[in-house]
Amino acid sequence: MKKTFWLTLTSVTVFALAALVLAALPAQAAGPKEVKIGNILPLSGPSASVGIQNQRAIELATEKINAAGGIKSLGGAKLVNIFTDSKGDPNVGVTAAEQLINTDKVSLVSGAWNSAVTLPSTQVAERYQVPYVVPVSVNDTITERGFKYTFRIAAKDSWWAQDQFKFLDEQKKLTKTTLKTIAFVYENGDWGTGMAKQWDILAKKYGYQVVLNEAYPSTASDLTPVVMKIKTKKPDVILLTSNAADAILLTNTMATMKVKAKAIIGTGGGHADPSFRKNTGKNCEYMFDVVEWETDLGRPQIPSLNAEFKKRYGYDLAGESVDAFASVYVIADAIERAKSADPKKIRDALAVTNLCVGKGKLGIDILSYDCVQFDETGQNKNAGIVLVQFQNVKGNMERVTVYPNKVARKGFKAIFPMP
Amino acid sequence: MDVNVILQAIINGLLTGSYYGLAALGLTLIFGVIKVINFAHGSLLMVGMFACYWVIKLTGWHPYATLLLVVPMLFFFGYAMQGILIKPVLEAQREVREPTEVIIVTTGVWYILDNLALMIFGAEYRVIQTPITGQIFMLGDYIFPKPQLYGFITTAVTSGLLVWFLKFTKMGKSIRAASLDRDAASLMGINQYRVYNIAFGIGAAIAGIVGCVLIPFYYVFPTVGVVFDVKCFIIVVLGGLGSIPGALIGGAIVGLIESIFAQYIASTWTELIVYVVFLAVLFIRPAGLFGEKRDW
Repeated sequence: MKKTFWLTLTSVTVFALAALVLAALPAQAAGPKEVKIGNILPLSGPSASVGIQNQRAIELATEKINAAGGIKSLGGAKLVNIFTDSKGDPNVGVTAAEQLINTDKVSLVSGAWNSAVTLPSTQVAERYQVPYVVPVSVNDTITERGFKYTFRIAAKDSWWAQDQFKFLDEQKKLTKTTLKTIAFVYENGDWGTGMAKQWDILAKKYGYQVVLNEAYPSTASDLTPVVMKIKTKKPDVILLTSNAADAILLTNTMATMKVKAKAIIGTGGGHADPSFRKNTGKNCEYMFDVVEWETDLGRPQIPSLNAEFKKRYGYDLAGESVDAFASVYVIADAIERAKSADPKKIRDALAVTNLCVGKGKLGIDILSYDCVQFDETGQNKNAGIVLVQFQNVKGNMERVTVYPNKVARKGFKAIFPMP
Repeated sequence: MDVNVILQAIINGLLTGSYYGLAALGLTLIFGVIKVINFAHGSLLMVGMFACYWVIKLTGWHPYATLLLVVPMLFFFGYAMQGILIKPVLEAQREVREPTEVIIVTTGVWYILDNLALMIFGAEYRVIQTPITGQIFMLGDYIFPKPQLYGFITTAVTSGLLVWFLKFTKMGKSIRAASLDRDAASLMGINQYRVYNIAFGIGAAIAGIVGCVLIPFYYVFPTVGVVFDVKCFIIVVLGGLGSIPGALIGGAIVGLIESIFAQYIASTWTELIVYVVFLAVLFIRPAGLFGEKRDW
């Protein structure tokens, strides 16, 4: 009898306590204390160096946002990043996405740099209806599959080619140069042949005569035959897509064989590699290159942020780390407006993002274009690309931003046609 | 197509082919004598390039003056590699005519050298400005890039000296004897391992010469050998294993194909032509153009 009494009393107490705790919980969680962001990046393997740069940019941006009071509509909730290593492997990336969404219960996923990882991992997020922000992965297809939960900040692959032609068109009118013939010279991998296809379409549209369409092996021991061909075709414009070694060899061989053109434009990659400038010296002067971002852009906040980044990590900001940095601001803004850590609400807020330069968002103020806005496919429709020209600035060969005009380096303009 | 263009393409092909041939020369020599395929040949070339690069960087010498240092360095490097690493395997395989295990050893050396270079120098590409970099010599309308022209002359001089050495010196004769039949040579009082060391040293020294030829116009990086490795193997087999004229002619053929066909088709496809010619030659003359039918 006594035993039953104690047993009843204990169970009642336990239940009452449990009920109390349960009742108290929602009160405590009126706003979540933190919002979890799952990041998938190549932190080891061949693309590790760029993956780690992105990670650091994300950490720095998150730190700045949290220090400034976190998400104000959620009572100052902090952003918390969970980083998982994709090793640049699509399979690992898919597992990482599953784990972040199911186990870590993140509100949103970000990543994955390698297009090959981004493609399948965004599929996972789409299935679970969790928004996936892609700072950089340039493959066109990523935002062309009708996905509702994928948002990309960087420009697509095909936009690089478009900007090359837009730039040529502008210069043609501005300097009254006649540009009729064009040559495509590119490495014979996926990237080069993809670019060449875009060029071919655009050349027709802009009325150029394609006199040379030349794929070469990136590991070539001698590019003189290719250069000879360029020389005999005498194109007005030469468009290049090269990796580091071949960009150097091609440029130096063109100088030796005295190849002249009115404009030579690279497509990032090898031409953007620091070793290119070092190893071609005077031979690269007046060549153009396309890139998503450059440290000399005419944005006043860049120098101080770059100095802070460099002091902490030992190297300059680069286009890709800037996109990663900006992505955290885009994410924070969406959560702020969603007033919730719920993935679906964040997705709806992301879709109507309208973040512009000059509104006190550091991550946006350093971009080369004015506003981040996503179109119905989730692509940032304003994402732009800048053109740089290799110019001799006080004895140093520098990459000088010359296009678009509003972000061009102060006091510099394109020297066109190439002397 | 314009005759001038074709003539210029032939000039380029011959100039390029000459240093391909020179690169293959060391490989063919080592194979001819020791019957060993030296998979580390490209790495020796890389070592030669780095040696030349650093000598120029530190002393500012003319690239061809660095030969005075680089050639002996690579000779001793090759001599030691044969004496220390390969000799024990050869001794263990005394009964075998073609000691295939040595291939594993040379492959190991290849990996170790490439990765050591990667560890010490990093993966970056290095180009050094020399007095002949980017210089050209004009003959009428035809362009002869000086670095390649000097390479052509160097190939001629090197192969001339090598032939003279093998034909007329005592050591050269010993090398040829050992290459014909190492057991018989040993019976005649030739120290076959010493002969091997020297042959290997000469092969490595030639790789060093190629390194110095390349430095004025090519970039150096730890895996630069791989770029030339496959080409060397094709040239050596095309020309005939162990044949000196074979290596030179083979080099010229590959250089000419790359240069001339690239004027008609995309240069990506010239590799295809090289392999088709390679297979055709093997089909018609399995021993290669200058190879002798032997029972190896």
